[in-house]
Amino acid sequence: MINLAAAKEFLDLVRHATTNHELYEALAIVCAAMGFDYFALTHHVDFTARGTDAVRLHNYPPNWVAWFDENGLGVTDPVHRASQITSAGFLWDRVPGMIKLTTADRDVLERARGEGIGDGFTVPAHIPGEASGSCSFAVAPSSQVCDDHLPIAQLVGAFAFEAARRINQIRLVEADSPTLTERQRDCVLWMARGKSDWEMAQILGLSPETCTQHLNTARERFDVAKRPQLAVRALFDGHISFADVFGR
Amino acid sequence: MFLTIGSGAGGTGDAILRAMFEARKRVFVDLLGWDVPVLADRYEIDQFDDPHATYLVLSDAAGNHLGSARLLETTRPHILDTLFPELCEGAIPRSAAIREITRFCLDPRQNARQRRRTRDTLVHALAAHALETGLTGYTGVAETGWLQQILAFGWDCEPLGLPHRSGQTMLGALSIAVTPDTPALLRRAGIVPDAVLSAADARHAA
Repeated sequence: MINLAAAKEFLDLVRHATTNHELYEALAIVCAAMGFDYFALTHHVDFTARGTDAVRLHNYPPNWVAWFDENGLGVTDPVHRASQITSAGFLWDRVPGMIKLTTADRDVLERARGEGIGDGFTVPAHIPGEASGSCSFAVAPSSQVCDDHLPIAQLVGAFAFEAARRINQIRLVEADSPTLTERQRDCVLWMARGKSDWEMAQILGLSPETCTQHLNTARERFDVAKRPQLAVRALFDGHISFADVFGR
Repeated sequence: MFLTIGSGAGGTGDAILRAMFEARKRVFVDLLGWDVPVLADRYEIDQFDDPHATYLVLSDAAGNHLGSARLLETTRPHILDTLFPELCEGAIPRSAAIREITRFCLDPRQNARQRRRTRDTLVHALAAHALETGLTGYTGVAETGWLQQILAFGWDCEPLGLPHRSGQTMLGALSIAVTPDTPALLRRAGIVPDAVLSAADARHAA
């Protein structure tokens, strides 16, 4: 089993990378040293749709990536979805126990094997106010993931993701996000909790018309036409959080 | 925001610390479900909340708790050496110039944006406290999700060992160096503090 002292060299390669190219090279070296064939450090966004400050560094087979992007899987990929619900690294064979897999999801996993990607280990990275991401390591279908290497993979993944944030100057979305007044935010929050304008008016001590107006103004500021989009944008930009919405 | 730097010698006698122990119960017991002792159904207080502990507490003008952290002396029993020695591969860092950050707590009554502002201010307060009192850095044990956020603050972190699985989560230990450059590193990573007054000034003003 690799201990930290032995892994320090790998970790330093990743941490001290100053460009995406250096980080890619570092990940390639570390990935191979841990007995993996592939690595993928990525934000969970649709790379075809987004004019992008998001990061993606990987050495996956080109066919797989082309198909992945054609199908807009950056957001819906089952491994990425599983990664949303945990903060600890997980093996891909655990995914069926983490999220409910659809037939389409099973096709994705099957397709990956067909393209030469077998089992893998994903380290989730959730930074409040930013797109979620992850750092994954995978082996060819004929190989096995070495359990002994998972703790160091966890650590490398965490430091590599942070290096990617630093190199690409990933910043809080909030910086470019429209501002909401406290009242507008209150109304967005109660709307996200499923309250009608009348109900939120009772709760907030406002008139229903005022609540409607607050929500209309908030929609204009986010430049979205519909209320569900407003709730999602406000969540994504960190004006409200899932904990706020679910009262946890 | 108002900053109180308190000592564990006060216990729950001080209103600011009492509010912190209550908030810790809401966060670590009610929200995160940690198996830690609760006093009088209201306060989360453990064996490390003794006269040697130091607290950094952020409050609003009315004295409501916004965020807090507990610092333990690393030359005395602390979380890393007492509960999770396996997370540290070499010798456990023990020095009068190193404190262990524990119970980093953001009051859940704030919304996401307020919590982030409190968090950023508390991180800067920790750096300033180290510089003002001659500390060279901190150690800390964190669940991996929180560890990723600690790295994202932009300060200089070193892993002390490999992460270990603990139930459903994974824990790791870090050391954080604090130098005169640290506040600038935090700002470069987008961590910007609120204006902070000392709580003593607040009481004086009131």
